[in-house]
Amino acid sequence: MNAGRLEISRLYQRFAFGPRPGEFTAALKAGPAQTRNALLAPPAQDIGAQSVQPPLLTDLGQRPKPNTPELADFVLGIRTQREALMLWWLDLMVKSDHGLTERMVWFWHGHWATSMSKVDHPLAMYKQNQSFRAHALGDLTAMSRAMLNDGALQFWLDGQTNTKGKPNENLAREFMELFLLGVNRYTEDDVKALSKSFTGYQLTSSTGEVRFNEKRHDFAPVALLGTTRHFSGEEASDYLVGKSDCQKFIAERIWYRFLSSTETMPNNFSAVSAYSSRNMLSAITAAATDPEMQKVKNQMAKAPLEWFIAACRALELTPSQLKRPAQISAHLNKLGQIPFSPPNVGGWPAGEAWLSSASAQYRIEFATWLVKQSSLRALNEIPVEKRVVQSADWLGVAQWSPRTQAALRSSVNNPTEFTVLALTSPEYVVSA
Amino acid sequence: MDTLTRRKFLKLTAGSVAVGAAAPLLNIADIAEAAISRPLPSGTPILVMVTLYGGNDGLNTVIPFKDPIYYSSRPDISYKEELVLPLDAELAFNPAMKSMKVLWDQKKVAIIRGVGYPNPDRSHFSSMAKWQTASPEKHINTGWLGRWIDTQPSDSMLAISLGSVLPPLFAGGRLSGSVLPLGGLVIPQGSLGRQCQQLAKPSRMDSNLMAAAATSMRNLFSVSTEVQPILKAPAPVAADLPVVNGGNAGGDSNLSQQLDIVAKLIAAGAPTKVWSVSLGGFDTHANEANAQSALLGVVSDSIARFMSQLRSTSRSQDVTVAVYSEFGRRVVGNGSQGTDHGTSGPMFIVGEKVNGGFYGDQPSLKNLISGDLAVTTDFRDVYATLLEKVLRSPAEQTLGRWAGRTQFMKS
Repeated sequence: MNAGRLEISRLYQRFAFGPRPGEFTAALKAGPAQTRNALLAPPAQDIGAQSVQPPLLTDLGQRPKPNTPELADFVLGIRTQREALMLWWLDLMVKSDHGLTERMVWFWHGHWATSMSKVDHPLAMYKQNQSFRAHALGDLTAMSRAMLNDGALQFWLDGQTNTKGKPNENLAREFMELFLLGVNRYTEDDVKALSKSFTGYQLTSSTGEVRFNEKRHDFAPVALLGTTRHFSGEEASDYLVGKSDCQKFIAERIWYRFLSSTETMPNNFSAVSAYSSRNMLSAITAAATDPEMQKVKNQMAKAPLEWFIAACRALELTPSQLKRPAQISAHLNKLGQIPFSPPNVGGWPAGEAWLSSASAQYRIEFATWLVKQSSLRALNEIPVEKRVVQSADWLGVAQWSPRTQAALRSSVNNPTEFTVLALTSPEYVVSA
Repeated sequence: MDTLTRRKFLKLTAGSVAVGAAAPLLNIADIAEAAISRPLPSGTPILVMVTLYGGNDGLNTVIPFKDPIYYSSRPDISYKEELVLPLDAELAFNPAMKSMKVLWDQKKVAIIRGVGYPNPDRSHFSSMAKWQTASPEKHINTGWLGRWIDTQPSDSMLAISLGSVLPPLFAGGRLSGSVLPLGGLVIPQGSLGRQCQQLAKPSRMDSNLMAAAATSMRNLFSVSTEVQPILKAPAPVAADLPVVNGGNAGGDSNLSQQLDIVAKLIAAGAPTKVWSVSLGGFDTHANEANAQSALLGVVSDSIARFMSQLRSTSRSQDVTVAVYSEFGRRVVGNGSQGTDHGTSGPMFIVGEKVNGGFYGDQPSLKNLISGDLAVTTDFRDVYATLLEKVLRSPAEQTLGRWAGRTQFMKS
């Protein structure tokens, strides 16, 4: 296989959400280096993203008591706003001219994994999502502070119940284990210490507003990772971000989500040193440029959401414009991945978890539903005799196997079936 | 209120009862695999719960056709004596329940009269929650079968609800039942199916992950070829049960589809001991007669068909069906040829091991309690009996100390 072709395919599938029609062909002409530079550089203006209207979200107040007449209206409001919120983000992922930004928002959503199932309020989830966007490729010190002051995350991990004398360790533990350091890089005493530093935050769950109440904060000095003093929440956050373990941990997460979920990160993975700045764009640039990008063994399964967004881009579909857009979450639910609803604070799985028989079946259903709504312009513009080969360029696939070519060839006069097969083929479901 | 559906009920109770999101979502391949690899041992009892959402009018289901008060209370919507299907000297089935009458004559139907709970609640949502949680005094968020599931070894196949949302009935504290979406049965057919099988072939070029993707698609087809015959061909109708015409709402109803799938999976050996199916639309505030009799026809025909399908398998002795609704309706008709929310109603228990006949006292039409029927049997009497005699489990773990029993099962 052509090495440049593999690299360009990976750049599109992993550092963006797949090519739009024509983009991959143009990138092949430009070569890997130029393609990478273009993908990594945010455009001065993201016209595609600007075309997506922000969702109409309001403060719905506290959930009424069970069996009261107000409950039905509240539940209806929640449902309507949840759907608006999800369609807004899906549209943004499909329409954005800078795939990397939304890809990073998606990465951070799986990193600071917060679920609507507990948070309940779409407005709070929206604010968190906007915060991911603001810090997507920026500085982790600022992002970590923003997350400490994020109502959805605080509520998700019971931060508002963590008070002086009555610590709740949930938020502190995950800050160390899942957000900033990685498991086993701290002791249980460090968790207790950090939870004291994190005392005093209060919030309004329906809006996601966070306040600091110093009366509930524990001002006593704590011994945190070798330093004994009083830390405010934000000081503790800064301190953790400054640890070299944090540098290594975030690089490991980049490796796991962008390079390989099965291979171990090599010690010389260039994102590690690039992240000494704690600047995400530097780390991602290093990762995208690393020689590991060209190694055949570093494959990734597309998560269901990534598969869906890539399909929409290739099919020139806008999620909110699909027939009965509520069906999208039904399909994504069957595949086990609904944005804003990660299964737990650890985020979604990776790799073979997405490759069950059940998901094969549901992916075929989902693809059929999508393909029927597309004009298939890009495919129809390819002469019939060239469709098998050139459809790989349309979809940004590195290479079709002879097995898949045989299936595609049999359906070459049936564009709908051809496309369903292409989208559900092992070569499309997996980023080679 | 418009036609109340189960889905609406579940939407409106979301948050007050912990259900839904956490329920394992099964697909037919999972169950099929389990049916093949670890079939339910023959002779294991199976319970099928049928929930009628909306509040079924019990008085027009099991009709006191000799009682003048019945006719004077609801002149617009009472059934004439010559139309009903008499069960004994006083009570008769709704004319639409011809298939159920056949089962009754075979002594396979127990009718438990006047079932309800103390201090009846006339809200659909509260009352259904009380029925499903079996906790009329206190709001709790586990269903009575959910608590039974908690007592069993963890198995996602143990209790399956047809549809896409888990009913509170199956929500346990520790475990819960699974849901099987009706739409989950679609396996690609025809040309697409053939080409998908081509895509599923191994390729020497496949990396580990691509090979896994191809294998997953291949398994989908290999499992489905083993199970497809079971699912595609309805179990043949047993010859000893006459096919009854009329009384059906026309065509396949959703309930009969649900029960068809249950029958096929039971026949295939699914390791499932409790099933839940449902039918909505019983909230007949207006123009009741046609709507309710159409629905009762569906219930009656679907259950009769289900029982006869099982007759052709080795499991017909093992299955017991229980039918209930969240309340009965007012004795006196309202001004729009309908009835408003009431209190107690009849439950049906159907099966080969059922001791057919009447249980519980028929609520008097003379001595109403603020215009409503008295409750003569507590639903916990019925649940305790289902737990002990069908599921062979102690009732106390699920219902707490509860002395009442209704002996509708052959011992």
